[in-house]
Amino acid sequence: MLFRSFTTGRLGTIVAFNVQNYIKVFTDPEILPMINNSILYAAGSAALGTGVGAMLAWIVARTNTPGRVLVELMPLYPILMPPIMKNIAWILLLAPKSGILNGFLRENFGIQQLVFNAFTLPAMVWVFGLACVPLGYLFLLPVFLSFDPSLEESAYISGSKPMRTMLRITFPLAFPAFLSAFVLNFLRGLRSFETPVLQGSPGGINVFVAKVYDSMSVEYNPGIATAYSTVLIILSVLALLFYVRATRFSERYATITGKGYRVKVIDIGKWKYATFLAVFAYFLVGIAIPFVVLIVVSLIPYYDYETFMMFPANIDLSNYHRVLNHPSFVSGLYNSLFLSVTIALVTVLAGIIMAFTIYRTKVYGSKVFEFIGTMPLAFPPLVLSLGLVIAVIGTPLYNTLWALGLGLFVAYFPYALRNASGAIVNIHKELDEAAWVHGARWRHVFFQVTLPLLKPTVTGALFYIFIEAIRNIDVAVLLVAPGNEYGPVTLFEYFRVGQWAEAAAGGVIYLIILILAVSIAKFVFKIKFSL
Amino acid sequence: MKKRTLLAVVVSIFSVTVALGSVALAASAPSDPFTKVSGELYAKAKQEGALTVYSVWDVEHIVAILGAFSKRYPGIKTNYWQGRNPEIVTRVMTEFQAGRDSVDAILSDNAPPVIRAAGAIMAYETVQKASLILHDPTMPVVSLQIQALVYNTKKLKPADLPKSWEDVANPKYKGNVALDDPMRAGPLSTQLAALKGLWKDDARWTRFVKGLKALGVPVHKSTSAMMRLVIAGEYALAMPALLHDVVNEMGKGTPVNLVKTASPIVFARYAGIYAKAAHPNAAKLLAEWLISTEGQATLDSIGREASRKGFQSKTSIGHAYPAGTQPIPVHDKLFLEDPKKWLDTNVKPLWEG
Repeated sequence: MLFRSFTTGRLGTIVAFNVQNYIKVFTDPEILPMINNSILYAAGSAALGTGVGAMLAWIVARTNTPGRVLVELMPLYPILMPPIMKNIAWILLLAPKSGILNGFLRENFGIQQLVFNAFTLPAMVWVFGLACVPLGYLFLLPVFLSFDPSLEESAYISGSKPMRTMLRITFPLAFPAFLSAFVLNFLRGLRSFETPVLQGSPGGINVFVAKVYDSMSVEYNPGIATAYSTVLIILSVLALLFYVRATRFSERYATITGKGYRVKVIDIGKWKYATFLAVFAYFLVGIAIPFVVLIVVSLIPYYDYETFMMFPANIDLSNYHRVLNHPSFVSGLYNSLFLSVTIALVTVLAGIIMAFTIYRTKVYGSKVFEFIGTMPLAFPPLVLSLGLVIAVIGTPLYNTLWALGLGLFVAYFPYALRNASGAIVNIHKELDEAAWVHGARWRHVFFQVTLPLLKPTVTGALFYIFIEAIRNIDVAVLLVAPGNEYGPVTLFEYFRVGQWAEAAAGGVIYLIILILAVSIAKFVFKIKFSL
Repeated sequence: MKKRTLLAVVVSIFSVTVALGSVALAASAPSDPFTKVSGELYAKAKQEGALTVYSVWDVEHIVAILGAFSKRYPGIKTNYWQGRNPEIVTRVMTEFQAGRDSVDAILSDNAPPVIRAAGAIMAYETVQKASLILHDPTMPVVSLQIQALVYNTKKLKPADLPKSWEDVANPKYKGNVALDDPMRAGPLSTQLAALKGLWKDDARWTRFVKGLKALGVPVHKSTSAMMRLVIAGEYALAMPALLHDVVNEMGKGTPVNLVKTASPIVFARYAGIYAKAAHPNAAKLLAEWLISTEGQATLDSIGREASRKGFQSKTSIGHAYPAGTQPIPVHDKLFLEDPKKWLDTNVKPLWEG
């Protein structure tokens, strides 16, 4: 793709090798306002999502919030809801004239003013921010669960109150993992397309990634699209430099040391009711409210406010009938289950090995891998997908399930790497050093010291990558072999073509399958999702 | 004498029988070009044994089409891959440059002309060209994309409707209309290209584009999402929508209808034959079959527009619009092959200037 960015011509026909694409990109007058919108949108969403995720992780791991079982489960279920389902549900809730919330205020309180507007930057930040919460939660939870309490106890002995201790001791120690999640969410925001298309364009808020898509979809020019992607790469490198610099004294952030300890649950007094309400509120906005909206939309003939409010008098099951009779519903689900489990396992293991090499060995130039391993996140999915096709098209892998597996590996490796990096930084080097001193080789240190300590991180990352991979379409699309459906194509295809009622029905079925799977895994097989 | 008479009678009967037989044989011989060509193509396609289609259409639709085709022509194993137009162009062109022969036919609207401009389409002229509403001598037009002006029946009274596409630019519709982004080579761009070709009046066309711009209304990058919001009541008018979507929605009782005085804009949906197709005869057979009455009936059964003249279907112009309605086609070669260049030259100075 780098080579392509230096070529001119359409449809990949190489006319000349020069820097013309880059000149065009960096002299484009539209670029600055678009980058400005992109940064505001991505940084706002990442701050909201990672902040809320961190707060939920702390509440679940470290506080005596009542209703333990519920509190552990409530942050987990919103992870299952794909971001695009949240988009559609929140557009229906927040649309100015036809939205449920404005309609409710108008009908019941006579408020004619349009209080909510889905097509504004704050609404975009709200919706994509909610989609960023799971990553923050899953990255921070293992850190809070493996916290050496002596660090906080010192604060208590010095007279610090629980909340002050949390703000001055606990959260600063979780800084590397927080920053890791923030950087990932920020990069996801920079390249995210659905929210800007569905909510930004109608409000006149254009983001930078639209330029990349226009280069591909209007101009059919991968060279210029890749050159535009360079801007995203530069922003990604800057974000990573910021991360590396902020965490350069990694020993400062080690929360897992050689001393024996048990994670202490903090008594936060009356605040425990407030924390329960906070978790419950997230559960409501993260999944319950959008899920209820989608259930109703999937069961009515069409959405408008009056029809929505008539439910259940106008119940209609035709959308479910159509989805369940979709020709690729079962085959797509089967293929994606197999591949996403495999990819989650391989990617997480590779991410940990890479993070271990970067932070625990003295391999020359290993820090460079910190950047290279995160680079795929800087590419919009279609550009990344094209790069992968070019890489495998001349090999026997092309048009096989393994090419798709490779594509998913590349797409999700940054998540595994950032997750493992954040967690390894929190493990004090003295544990490794003790093993080195006793003559252990790197593989003993890795498999017998580091990996067991990373267990909570591993399960969280496995769960997250599995959920993301099973519903991937954007990266997979060019790598899927004809005749091999991937993913629950049914519902995402409906989302793509704008058939929201069918998409809602498919989404409800998909969510019910996943909720059942998670519940069975948790209650029947006693599998812990980082908890 | 008697013998001679008897012989004459026998010869006469034989002659009449042979003559009648010839008439009967003539009647059963291929009477239309499709029957003849399909027989020839099927024999070769069976030798090829397979067919791979890339399409922008819904998976449900592709499966239904290929299912009906396989039933009609057993012995040809069919396969498909579905993606959006940019994905189709990207995949086909990448495979073309790498010398791969993964695809045989490309069923889509915007993608085939762009791929053809890059030399990756094998020219093939359908033998049924006389039956088509739109004809392209290098790619069979198997269906049509028909754009309609659509309104929400709860939001606009018939008396308040615009009478034409041009009327939508009237300032009184400000706040009521949602526009497809004219700079994204989507349906509104197609419409602008069609109207520019129809009017052949630059001043009128410029006034129209500037009028739309002056409305200052929301611009959407997803026509389907825009249509949803019109149904929801967020907007009263969609500029534009696709006829098959509208007919489908009206069938469900959704509060939308067509502005029947605004002539539909028609754009071809092609079956392009890939230049390096491994199974070119199977691809041609599919294209010819889709244009035949049987193929058009299959398209109608899944709600897709027919491309055959006089073919009555739920989504045909004759069915949806008053008699005598003339569709507006897109003929601009530059728009078809390089929409970005056409938009930069014609629309950008007015829209972003």
